Amino acid sequence: MLPGDFQPPKRPTGRRIALFGALGLGGVVGLVVVVVIATFVISAWLGLPLDAFGLNEGPDQPIAFPHPTHVEDLGLDCTFCHRNVTVGAAATIPAVGFCMSCHITVGDDKPEVEKLRNFHTSGIPVDWVRVHRVPDHVNFVHEPHIRHFSEQYGGASGTCQLCHGDVGSMVKVQQVRSLKMGDCVDCHRDNEAPTDCTTCHY
Amino acid sequence: MASTNTQWGMVIDVDKCIGCQGCVVACQSENNIPINTEDLFNQRRAIEWIRVERYWEGEFPDVKARFIPILCQHCNDAPCEPVCPVFATYHNNEGMNVQVYNRCIGTRFCANNCPYHVRFFNFWEPEWPETLTNQLNPDVTVRSRGIMEKCTFCIQRIRRTSREAARDGEELSDDSRELNPACVNACPTDTLFFGDLNDPDSKVAKLAKEEMSDDGRGYHLMPQYGTSPNVIYLKKVDESTKDSNGSHE
Repeated sequence: MLPGDFQPPKRPTGRRIALFGALGLGGVVGLVVVVVIATFVISAWLGLPLDAFGLNEGPDQPIAFPHPTHVEDLGLDCTFCHRNVTVGAAATIPAVGFCMSCHITVGDDKPEVEKLRNFHTSGIPVDWVRVHRVPDHVNFVHEPHIRHFSEQYGGASGTCQLCHGDVGSMVKVQQVRSLKMGDCVDCHRDNEAPTDCTTCHY
Repeated sequence: MASTNTQWGMVIDVDKCIGCQGCVVACQSENNIPINTEDLFNQRRAIEWIRVERYWEGEFPDVKARFIPILCQHCNDAPCEPVCPVFATYHNNEGMNVQVYNRCIGTRFCANNCPYHVRFFNFWEPEWPETLTNQLNPDVTVRSRGIMEKCTFCIQRIRRTSREAARDGEELSDDSRELNPACVNACPTDTLFFGDLNDPDSKVAKLAKEEMSDDGRGYHLMPQYGTSPNVIYLKKVDESTKDSNGSHE
């Protein structure tokens, strides 16, 4: 046989097929791993879960509390339940007893209200899952923010939406802003609020 | 929020100090400072944002105890600030020398450059006995291992008071116990005064003006370093050194 003559390709051996199969499978698995990691990295970068595949859906709460029923249908102000928001640091979630001031008579035959009444009779506070959390080392106080924006946005309840989104229409409460330091500082600059470190960090 | 031309400062009348350490205890509990043990003192790793130094003067029986409370002087030309590689310590627009805990990487350059020895490094994770964990102040960060800490003039109290004053439409007053740092409130002999040095009506500004004049008792700690501190000390006056007119030398 002369050099350069045509040679029919050799039939691949069983071992080679297995090797290529394993390599291909490994590649697919690797790609999936990379995509999953990239999703987490991008979410962390944005400070929010990606707005896809329902990843940004809020957590399940011990009682599926429907904000729309209370806010849109009944027209309650945010400050009706979150009473401390115009006074102090935390907006506060009302105690079960406060819910019971209506629900002792309202909402018979509803399973979620039944859960609430069980919490009330057993004297156990509801272990709500926290949705909004500012980063560590931040002393965030609601009151001055509400005070600053109240006039502009028509009262305390209009102000909440700036950071929390339209909670009144959310069936499951979810976070809509990253609430990271860049987010805070941008807003402070726009509103000529102090940007000294010790405004929040001490 | 306090206005930007505020200059927080302190006046310490050494003549009144009886060395009771009330300020030290108040500071430790207000600012979540871990308990200092004898071991830590021997290692020179005790953390005291304010300390009372004691000096003996004279020979027995004419011996005199001298006390001087020493805290961060909040220098206007602070030696600690330019040496920080990450800007964790800087001068804010209220005249305070500020330590930003979450920026600090623990080089300890600032402590080495401070002539007053008022910056403290957390060599270990702070720990409290089980009985004391519930008394931690929620307004103050618990500093973790590996970062620097120092007197803040109880900035959490200043922030809260100015916020509440703005909310209720009131003026900040330097008489208010809520504004004053814990050490000032705790002092039984009114040794310490706190307030805005830029406000001509404040107690500290009046004292500073009166006592920093030529015949006043005011002085700065270690003026040879040119740090221009915001803490003013007032000299001790002994009966024995007074002349016949009743005034001191």
